[in-house]
Amino acid sequence: MTVMEHAAHGPDLDPLEERRRLVLGLRLFILSEIMLFGAFFTAYFVLRAQAPAWPPSPEFERPGLALVGLNTLILLSSSVTMQWAMTRIGRDDRAGFRRGLLATLILGAVFLGIQIFEFASNGFGISDGVFGSTFYALTGLHGAHVLTGLLLMGVVANRARLGLVSREHHTAAELVGIYWHFVDVVWVTLFVTVYVL
Amino acid sequence: MAFAIWAVLSVLGVAAVVGIQILPIVASREAVVVDRALVALTVVSVPVLVFVVVGMLYSAIRFRAGDDDAEGPPIHGHRRLEAGWVIGTFVMVIGLAAYGTIGLLEIRGEQLADLEVRADAKQWAWEFDYPGLGIASEELVLPVGQRIRITVISEDVVHSFSVPAFGVKQDAVPGRETQLYVTPTLTGKYGIQCAELCGLGHTRMVASVTVMEPAEFDAWVALQPPQTGD
Amino acid sequence: MTESGTRMARLRRPSLARGILGGLAGLVIGALPLIVAAQLGTEIKPGGFLALGYIGLLLGWLAGLGTFGPWAAWALGRPVNTEDQAAAHGRGGDWTRYFRFTTDHKVIGIQYLLAFLALFLIAGVLAMVVRLELAQPGQIFATDTYNTIMSTHGTLMIFVALNTIVGGLGNYFVPLMIGARDMAFPRLNALSFWLVPPALLLILLNPLFGGFDTGWTAYPPLSRQAELGEQAFLLTFITIGISSIVSAVNFLVTVARMRTTGMSMMRLPIFVWSLLVTTAIVLVATSVVASALTMSLFDRLIGTDFFRPAAGGDPILYQHLFWFYSHPAVYVMAVPAFGAVLEVVPVFARKPLFAYRLAVLSFVAIGVLSFMVWAHHMFVSGMAEFFHIPIMISTELISVPTGIVFFSALGTIWLGRLRFATPMLWVFGFIWCFLIGGITGVYLADVPTDLVLTDTYFVVAHFHYTIVGGMIFGMFAGLTYWFPKFTGRLMSERLGKIHFWWFTLAFNASFMPMFWLGIQGMRRRIADYPAELGELNLWASVAAWMIGLSMLVFVYNFIRSWARGPLAGANPWRARTLEWQVTSPPPVENFEHLPVVSSGPYEYGALAAGPAIQPTAFSGPDGRPR
Repeated sequence: MTVMEHAAHGPDLDPLEERRRLVLGLRLFILSEIMLFGAFFTAYFVLRAQAPAWPPSPEFERPGLALVGLNTLILLSSSVTMQWAMTRIGRDDRAGFRRGLLATLILGAVFLGIQIFEFASNGFGISDGVFGSTFYALTGLHGAHVLTGLLLMGVVANRARLGLVSREHHTAAELVGIYWHFVDVVWVTLFVTVYVL
Repeated sequence: MAFAIWAVLSVLGVAAVVGIQILPIVASREAVVVDRALVALTVVSVPVLVFVVVGMLYSAIRFRAGDDDAEGPPIHGHRRLEAGWVIGTFVMVIGLAAYGTIGLLEIRGEQLADLEVRADAKQWAWEFDYPGLGIASEELVLPVGQRIRITVISEDVVHSFSVPAFGVKQDAVPGRETQLYVTPTLTGKYGIQCAELCGLGHTRMVASVTVMEPAEFDAWVALQPPQTGD
Repeated sequence: MTESGTRMARLRRPSLARGILGGLAGLVIGALPLIVAAQLGTEIKPGGFLALGYIGLLLGWLAGLGTFGPWAAWALGRPVNTEDQAAAHGRGGDWTRYFRFTTDHKVIGIQYLLAFLALFLIAGVLAMVVRLELAQPGQIFATDTYNTIMSTHGTLMIFVALNTIVGGLGNYFVPLMIGARDMAFPRLNALSFWLVPPALLLILLNPLFGGFDTGWTAYPPLSRQAELGEQAFLLTFITIGISSIVSAVNFLVTVARMRTTGMSMMRLPIFVWSLLVTTAIVLVATSVVASALTMSLFDRLIGTDFFRPAAGGDPILYQHLFWFYSHPAVYVMAVPAFGAVLEVVPVFARKPLFAYRLAVLSFVAIGVLSFMVWAHHMFVSGMAEFFHIPIMISTELISVPTGIVFFSALGTIWLGRLRFATPMLWVFGFIWCFLIGGITGVYLADVPTDLVLTDTYFVVAHFHYTIVGGMIFGMFAGLTYWFPKFTGRLMSERLGKIHFWWFTLAFNASFMPMFWLGIQGMRRRIADYPAELGELNLWASVAAWMIGLSMLVFVYNFIRSWARGPLAGANPWRARTLEWQVTSPPPVENFEHLPVVSSGPYEYGALAAGPAIQPTAFSGPDGRPR
């Protein structure tokens, strides 16, 4: 990444400054993502408040908490492994980093897998009134973010495999870490509002 | 000098607008409030408009650069003027908001009505039901001097029930009932129009409202066929 | 190399041609799964083909242009060719660099400017057609044709208003004005631009899909019923939204981290401040409308019911989400124009910008307040009544910071030494027009008067006075001011003045009567009206066609001056901001040595204070570039 920015910027871009810009850029982008989820949460709150009951129709059942609760723990653990990986690379423990990253990736993939299983066994679909619309729009949007995170982790893992990630050069890993924590926080909010409350 | 020009033009401008009627027809109690508000806003706007225009034109003439390359004086700001402007405009808009609040509460009035009407909008025509009287009609007819509650509903897309002469407007939203209150004060025939783009027939989605003396209204009611069940 | 060998080599290089090929391939690949499904007997809505095909086209187009190459190389751990990078930056490039993926912010700025000026002309032609229909009672066009023309005019103009100053002048001048060599993320900058052509293509082709007759506001349930062209609108708007958000991140990081030594926040040119606030608004608000449009898209395509009352949905939910963005959006249109106007005034009054700090504060206040007023578009919508009074108050309050723009402009003009070059004429025009727009906005903020005025031509007149009178006039002020810098040549003052007076008089003649028409009860978005309103409408139409004709003067001036105008030199207006301290046009790297700034940008009338830029940093002792 440094080589490419140098050519565009000329010799005055030092890696520390480049990292600061990227981190700021990502945080700002995450702000717009918060507004994106915010809009869908707003739709959920408004439509639920205006419904006579929730679920609006007795033929729909809200998903059970056991499986989803387990899934939440899995996702939370993946944030822990991600953070552990970041600590490892901070000490230039590249093998440790790769292990942590892989663990995060696997946990994330398991999360998605369980979610798809849950969707399949739910008694309602996306076209089942506002209940289905809000549920699947929110969880689907989140799932898309999880998938993106997994792909990005795969890229970083590949670069780590090629020896390109070190204590001095791991900005991309750091960015993916910040993104992943964001995805996790959104899930917790989603879990509490859509599944629990 | 500029101040004098502003003062004179403002006084003249205010005098010109203060007694006028802005709405072409004022046929309800609510329209009176609306027209009064329109006039009040215009009165307040005149000195503001004149201030900026005189400021601009006066400056364009008086402060035109000469043939030299002279720069203007290095004035960056003026604390008191800045504070004064901010406070002055703030007070002005709060005043306007207060005035608007009073007007709005007056228009809304109380939740009581002498007569119930339902304005049913669909692509692309209106139907008016009188639940209390058991009749329905394609033209709206109302008795003068009575407070009418009009419940606006839509069967398909968003429409809007608008009667400019009454100074009222309310969207018709499918899935909910919205309401407006109106007390007609002038007999006559006025236009109803749909004021929210609703598809191909939007332009032609008009109807009429006739305001009659109460006796005439009762006679009209008696002539209407009873409302068929839905 | 053989004939076919060179052709293959050319295809391997990113280019516009390859982008088009990539787009076509993407279109087919995107639609393929659905084509297969349709063959297997599943019923697929035409909208599905459009949606997936469009997404494929977008990705293929970007790939063909070379957007993803460097990122893909990085992802795969491959080294990146620095020569390719230099070429991508436009170094040593000729005019063709404007027609490919170039990362130089100055190239991107010109790309945005020319693309959106062209769009402005196209949308203007549509306006001429709208006025043709409205010139007389009766109908020339079928209603769905008229509705599509009217909706497309509005939609295109919204995009012009959102992007011309920010994407065009902003991209070009912000790095220069803060003493940087480029934006923080040059490749993302180019991506922002190249997202736009497919989106514009889609909206321009919307008649082929059946048009759309909902206006740019696209309220459901009408938007769910509407033809496929509605979907073209939704997809286009979402794309432009994504482009804006990426652009906003770029601007904000650039100004946060790339200001040169001595360029403190309170020494930033007011134009830069205006874009800071604007891009902050874009960053926060755009996702919300993108969500609303996506919900509409889902309602149409995959059977969701966000806005379908029979299934528990709520059309008013759409309105809240839509206007939560679309009100701040009008400040995205206006605030850069405020910035351009306040940037021009000190130069042509030879006097410091009056109350600079207060102006900065007022921009920030506008930015914050703009998020608290959206429901004034919904006073008659049937939304909960408790919104009315607070929103009326907040909407009235926003006049206070907006008024400070006038205060600052007038305070600068007062006691100045005014020179009426074309940019300054546009400033005066702006002051008049935006004043009318602003005052009439108060009529709409006041709920009692809004009840009668909303959804009438009063609103049409109000927003044309604010958006044309504000944004377009501000754009012309900025464009005529900065033209010498980005082209190296001067525009004709004579033609500039003719265009200004012609445009201004025609604009006022056309739109002023519309306030009265609205008060008479003439509704918006109608193809026909009562006969007694015919005379004024005819007048408005003729005046509108005059606006169109005046633009021919501008286009001629623009093209001819760029090609053959007299050379401008580095600083024909004797301005003090950094972009004027380098050549016209600036060198690729902007500055040979990054400048060191020692004072604010408006130190006119204080020649004793010395030049704004320390001579030792990069220029000779006389303050001019070496």
